[in-house]
Amino acid sequence: MPDKPSDLVQGTLDMLILKTLALEPMHGYGISVRIEQISKGVFRLNAGSLFLAIQRLERDGLIDGEWKPTENNRRARYYTLTATGRKRLNNETREWGRQVTAIARILEAS
Amino acid sequence: MSFLRNIASGLRSLFRKEQVDRELDEELRAYQEMATEEKIKQGMSRKDALRAVRLERGSLEITKELVRSGGWEFFLETCWRDLRFASRTLRKSPGFTAVAVLTLALGIGANAAIFSLFNAVLLRNLPVKNPNELALLGTGRGSGSTGGVNDVLYSYRFYEELAQKNQVFSDTSAMMSVLFGGIHGRVDGSANLEPMNVQLVSGTYFSVLGVQPVLGREFSKADDEPLGVHAVTVISYSWWTRRFARDPAVIGKAIAIGSTLYTIVSVTPTEFSGTTVGESPDLWIPLSMEKQVSPGWNGLEDRWWDSLYIMARLKPGMSVAQAEAGTNVLAKAIWRDFAGPVIPPDRQRNIDEAWIPLTSAARGLSELREYSSPLQMLMVVVALVLLIACANIANLLLARSANRQREIAVRTAVGAGRARVFRQLLTESLLLACLGGVLGLLFASWASRAILAWISAGPEPLPLNIAPDVRVLAFTFLISLVTALLFGTLPALRSAHVNLTDAFKSGRGAAALGVRSRFSSALIVSQVALSFVLLIGAGLFLRTLVNLTRVNRGFDEKKVLLFSIDPPALGYKLDSRLVNLYQQIEQRVAAEPGVRADSVSLSTFSQGAWRAPVSVLGATPNAGDNPHVIHNAVGAGYFATMGIPLLIERVFGPQDAATSPKVAVINETMARFYFPGGSPIGRRFGIESGPAHAADFEVIGVVKDAKYESLDERPQPGAYYLYSQVLKHFYYDFEVRYSGDPHAIIPEVRSAAASVDPSLPLVYQGTLSEQVDRSVASQSLTARLSAFFGFLAVFLASIGIYGLMSYGVARRTNEIGIRVALGAPRSHVFWMILRDGLLFASTGLALGVPIALAAGRLVSGMLFSTKPADPATMLVAATLLIVLNVTAGYLPARRAMRVDPIVALRYE
Repeated sequence: MPDKPSDLVQGTLDMLILKTLALEPMHGYGISVRIEQISKGVFRLNAGSLFLAIQRLERDGLIDGEWKPTENNRRARYYTLTATGRKRLNNETREWGRQVTAIARILEAS
Repeated sequence: MSFLRNIASGLRSLFRKEQVDRELDEELRAYQEMATEEKIKQGMSRKDALRAVRLERGSLEITKELVRSGGWEFFLETCWRDLRFASRTLRKSPGFTAVAVLTLALGIGANAAIFSLFNAVLLRNLPVKNPNELALLGTGRGSGSTGGVNDVLYSYRFYEELAQKNQVFSDTSAMMSVLFGGIHGRVDGSANLEPMNVQLVSGTYFSVLGVQPVLGREFSKADDEPLGVHAVTVISYSWWTRRFARDPAVIGKAIAIGSTLYTIVSVTPTEFSGTTVGESPDLWIPLSMEKQVSPGWNGLEDRWWDSLYIMARLKPGMSVAQAEAGTNVLAKAIWRDFAGPVIPPDRQRNIDEAWIPLTSAARGLSELREYSSPLQMLMVVVALVLLIACANIANLLLARSANRQREIAVRTAVGAGRARVFRQLLTESLLLACLGGVLGLLFASWASRAILAWISAGPEPLPLNIAPDVRVLAFTFLISLVTALLFGTLPALRSAHVNLTDAFKSGRGAAALGVRSRFSSALIVSQVALSFVLLIGAGLFLRTLVNLTRVNRGFDEKKVLLFSIDPPALGYKLDSRLVNLYQQIEQRVAAEPGVRADSVSLSTFSQGAWRAPVSVLGATPNAGDNPHVIHNAVGAGYFATMGIPLLIERVFGPQDAATSPKVAVINETMARFYFPGGSPIGRRFGIESGPAHAADFEVIGVVKDAKYESLDERPQPGAYYLYSQVLKHFYYDFEVRYSGDPHAIIPEVRSAAASVDPSLPLVYQGTLSEQVDRSVASQSLTARLSAFFGFLAVFLASIGIYGLMSYGVARRTNEIGIRVALGAPRSHVFWMILRDGLLFASTGLALGVPIALAAGRLVSGMLFSTKPADPATMLVAATLLIVLNVTAGYLPARRAMRVDPIVALRYE
């Protein structure tokens, strides 16, 4: 039996969504599936936190939403990364890397 | 950018709610559909798939709710919902709402009213350009004319020197320290003499202030020189409106004052009414026309005729300290130059010791600054009243919250968080406070006008702008807010922390009541303590007023009417014709029926005084302080008219004529101080120090002391002369002592004056007792308003006690029923309840006494022959408070006594 899905580290959800959208524009469900797939099921997103984060990112101008037809001829809202969003993603990725290295160093120290 | 985007998006969901909701719904449904399809692909049935998705991803509805509550607009929306709910709740209990809103309206209104006056007198800036750059030389305390070196008033020559030589001001102006109110002129060729207020100013006055006329040109420096030729005038907007109905063709019209025609050159803007708050000039005329406007004022060329205020605009970047230093260096140089090559030692000392402070003139000069400490004190008083009102409403809310426990418990049970409940309850308080604030503002605009009318001297209210400005509105809003927080926070907190199980248990929840009543009792006790303090204050100020009105004035102010005339308007000069005019009117008026005596005097009580040193023939001046003497020029009948008793020898009689030897009547204090040992009769003295005039006047009699400037002054040396012998002034007042109906006297005096000179303008100035009352207007205002607020406070506290005890009796109906059923006598029950009331009152008193003593010391400067710790006042206030509080407790106690045990036990 696989491990139960983990809770996300606080504040990382935004970064993960931005990263996912950096690859290609995607709708809400697509984002959560992509995150689950890449994390190999470690992270599973609740619809509430996902759409709350999407609303926040859109209002901050980091992503743009647009209604488009899906493969199954349904209408869904697709999100694209804006220039500001890309800049933010780069910054956060760098910062995250620094922190992870630092934490790893501390944990390996003893 | 993202901030704007956030706002825009929020606004969109606020105003296009349905569309936004539909989109969110569609997006989430698509999401759910995709997730479900995925599951179905893996082989689940549609039903199972839907359930699995709901389990894994959360329900659609909750998600929607979550996303919706994520934006800031959600906060606004809930606020709006809370507000609607609050107004519904308040409408459902109209009694509570009415009491609360009225109480608040009284409290907030009182604050707003006093603040409106405070603002108008002490805070409002003049409507001029950059008011903060304006500086007044000296303190502006004092007006009229004086001589020598001083730091309030300046001579025209001094002003000219200063304006020319200073390095610290960008521009300098001067204005006459007195508004000429008794001037009569003829407007635009009319034959009628009309009264008008004239302000003399230097040509730079308007340019220093930066006041642009709405019509015509302003004065310029050219209007200052040469003297006596610039017959031009600027008229005020309100006079333009009153007199000319805003006729734009007014420029170029002429106003005749005396024998000079003044051409109207401009009209001031509507908001500008001079630089002295509480005065409103109709005309501004260049100072260079001083002698022509009012022939008694003729000192422009006299270096030591000090009668002007100097107002200047600081150079950009100049600090007040720098400017003050520069001004004083220059002023001393000017004074030394004026004093001549050989400076007498006392003048040298005066110059060395003089220091001119620069005062900000941003808020203008004000005759009304005497009200500043009463207004400050009243601000504190009304704040305390508001606190007491808050305590009452807090108690009402607490009692209400006990009844609403179940409602709140239900709301908590269905998922409202404590913060939400708290916010909702606080919204109710805010709504109450805002309603109270709006009503209070209406109340305040009426009350501040009433107070203004009350402190105004004549039938016209003081020209004071008390219309609520931004500052008053902001103040009212702020205190409403603070009030809501004060009375709303604790009850709301308490309600929000309702204990569910207790609340759902039957009946009136007993658990929170212990705490509640302890808190309520504390509120009541502090109300009693505060209202005691206010009562003591009211008592002290009332005693002050009574003491003032009982002061022995030395004259009898009852049944005396005052009149004034304007002889210069008809071209009279300072000669025997003027003396004849006054004497003839004196005689004609005396012959009228109902007139018992009449006379003439230069000054009357509290309307300015002629104050100067004296020199006594054959006496060396005392080494110490030689008090100035209050001089007055009067008619022969003055002492009889005023009721001032003669002590030694005689007063003026028919033997003293304009040309006979100059004589003087002095008062006791002057006799004692300047003529010690032996009789002063036959001795000689002169006005002004120095031996030159020491033989001018012979003392012929001594009269009793009187009050001259104010009721609370110490005895001052005084001397009286015959106006026919010292004719230096044009304007004298008539005093007419009458018997019978005063209304019949006024037309008699008018016709008597008209029979002497039919075109002479005569103005009725009111009665002497009105003048005396007016001199204590500020003390009277303080006493009456603090008494009113004191009673209001006690009344509110009593309502508080009544409310709390009624509530207590209702709550204890059960217990009382059991007591009675078990045989407790009714009187025991009565006393049991009443004892609570007494306990509140006595604890409040015990707390209030030390506070009142401390507060009394703070206002001791405003008291007159009363000590802050006046035992009689304390006793009366305490008795009054206890009586009122016990009365408030009596009704609930009687209700308790009448509780029917059967009814009571069936109660629940």
